[in-house]
Formats: sequence, C-alpha cells, structure tokens
Amino acid sequence: MSATVPEGGRSFVLMRLTTRRFALPAETVIELVVPGSLQSFPHTSPLLLGVLVRRGQVVPVVDVAQLVAGPETQHRKFYLIATRHFGAAREWCAIPVLGDCELISATPEAREEGAPSYITGAVHLGEEQVPILDLDGVFGTGVEDDSLVEARS
Amino acid sequence: MSPAATKPKASRRTQRSEQVIVFSVASQRFAIALDAVQEIRSADSLAGAATELVQTILKKVRHKLERKGRTYYVVNAGQHFGLPVTRPTLVLVLRKSRACALVDRIEEMLEIAVVRSLPRAFSGEERRWYRGLALIGDSVIPVVHPSGFLTPREISLLDAARAAAAASADAAATSADAAATEGAAAQ
Repeated sequence: MSATVPEGGRSFVLMRLTTRRFALPAETVIELVVPGSLQSFPHTSPLLLGVLVRRGQVVPVVDVAQLVAGPETQHRKFYLIATRHFGAAREWCAIPVLGDCELISATPEAREEGAPSYITGAVHLGEEQVPILDLDGVFGTGVEDDSLVEARS
Repeated sequence: MSPAATKPKASRRTQRSEQVIVFSVASQRFAIALDAVQEIRSADSLAGAATELVQTILKKVRHKLERKGRTYYVVNAGQHFGLPVTRPTLVLVLRKSRACALVDRIEEMLEIAVVRSLPRAFSGEERRWYRGLALIGDSVIPVVHPSGFLTPREISLLDAARAAAAASADAAATSADAAATEGAAAQ
C-alpha cells in the first residue's frame, strides 16, 4: 500500500470497529491478518479477549471497540496488529476489525474539546470525521505492569 | 500498512528448558514447573488428612492440610482462576508455598524450551498468577506461578482466622471444663 502524503500531512490506517471508523497513525500499524485461532486463558484485564500466535510471538487481542464504540454486536473478521508502548518498551496487540481497512494520507485536525483522552484529533474524509485513536491513551502506558515483570524476573 | 514497522524486541525469555506438569481445570490447561510440585495426591485422600477451615474470607480455600509440620491451605484452582465449578480429583502439594491446588486432572508432563513473558497488556491479577506463557504445539498455555495461588496477605488472613478459631475452641473447652468442675462441686 502506498499513499502520497500531502504537505504537513501524515499517513493513517482507517479501521472500522462497528458502524464507526477510527484512524491509527500508520507507523503504529504492523499488518492486517485473517483470524487464526484466538486462544484464551483466565485473566482479569479489561478488554482483552485472549491471544494470537503471530510470527512466533504471542499477541494479545484487545477489543478496543468495547471502549471507543460501545457494545459490539457485529462479527469482526480480521485483526489489525499494531504497536503499543509500555514506557520505553513496545508490544504488539491485535485489534478485531470488520476488515475494510484503508491507508490514507491526510492532515490531522486538532482534538475537539471534551473528546476522550485517547482521541488525539481527527481526519476529514468528505462528510466523515474520523477520530484518530491513540492506543497508548486507551490503556495507559502500563509502566507499572512493566515494573512488576522486572521485579519478578 | 507500514512494512517498515519493525518487530518489537522479543520478550524476555528464560532460555533454560524446564520440565512442566500440564494440568487442567474446567477444560482450561495450565502448566506448572515440575520442581515446584512436591506431591500429587488424589482429592479423595484428603478426606482423612485435611481439616475444614472455619473462615469466610476466601471462598477458594475451604480446607487446610498438615504435612510434615507445615500447614498448607487447599486452594480450589477453579475458583482461584474464576472458572466454572468442577469436581477436582487431584491435589498438587506445592514446594516453597503454603498452598495446595485442587485441580481436575494431569494432562501430561513435558519439557518446554521457553517460558515467554506475559504480554504487558495483561495487567490484572494474572500477573501474579502466571510466570509467563508456554507455546506447546499451537497452544498457548499459562505457566502458573506457584506462589500465585495465595498472596502473603491472604496467607496472613487465613493464619489469623485459623488462630482465632483455635482460640475460640480453646475458650469453649475451658468453659466446658469449668462448667463440669462447678457441676461436680455442686453435687
């Protein structure tokens, strides 16, 4: 996929979570994959559906739609794998999406007052205003979790 | 998509292979290091050895077991992990832990090469429950932390409840003795 970035513009991947589309900065997106077998085990973390094994890595599957678009009823067919930050560390996560992802180039607009903190701005596509999602903002940085890992290792 | 996006640094791994016991609870598989398990007993064998614990703090613990001078608390692993109720058939007596775990069955014992770190996206109690994840075939299986069945605070609460129950029983016995002595004196 390629796109010409307008001056002052950036590349975004548009993903449809429910009836709404959201934009992710393209540099955070790794790939769009068809579902492998979602595996789950007991946990108490919100929004986590389980894990996928992708390229030898265990990738947590995070149902972002529950938080940003409300209760989900549509069957989402694909997983968009993107990067999250935990302090200085990075980790892949898989977001269930409906499938019609699109790479665009656009000049982002500022975040609307009162918008949730995980929305960092918006891109305009004709009549549609697509919120730009900050995955790290959705979940926080997880720095505390990292220290737990360090303490245990 | 961004082909330039690089693969994040592989999660920290323990390179030393280790033997694990794979057990199941409510059809969910878990692994635990073989050397973390002191003994595997049938749950039926607990009938004579375990004593019911009078406490309402932790539903997952209903019995205690005295072994070689130590008190172990018997944790129902299904309740611990929030799984559907089952009928456990085995007890894992753990080393270096005050907990025994009631589990449904042992699936297999095998050697795993790598325990992968639990992804940081998992931020809840599971960080205490699991040492990491094992890839066995195509399956991802959590590797249980032996000390994760009971927190130090839970152990303290259980110890306190046990001590209170013992003190209450002593007081009741003393009171009964005193009543018997008074009765005998009155006659």
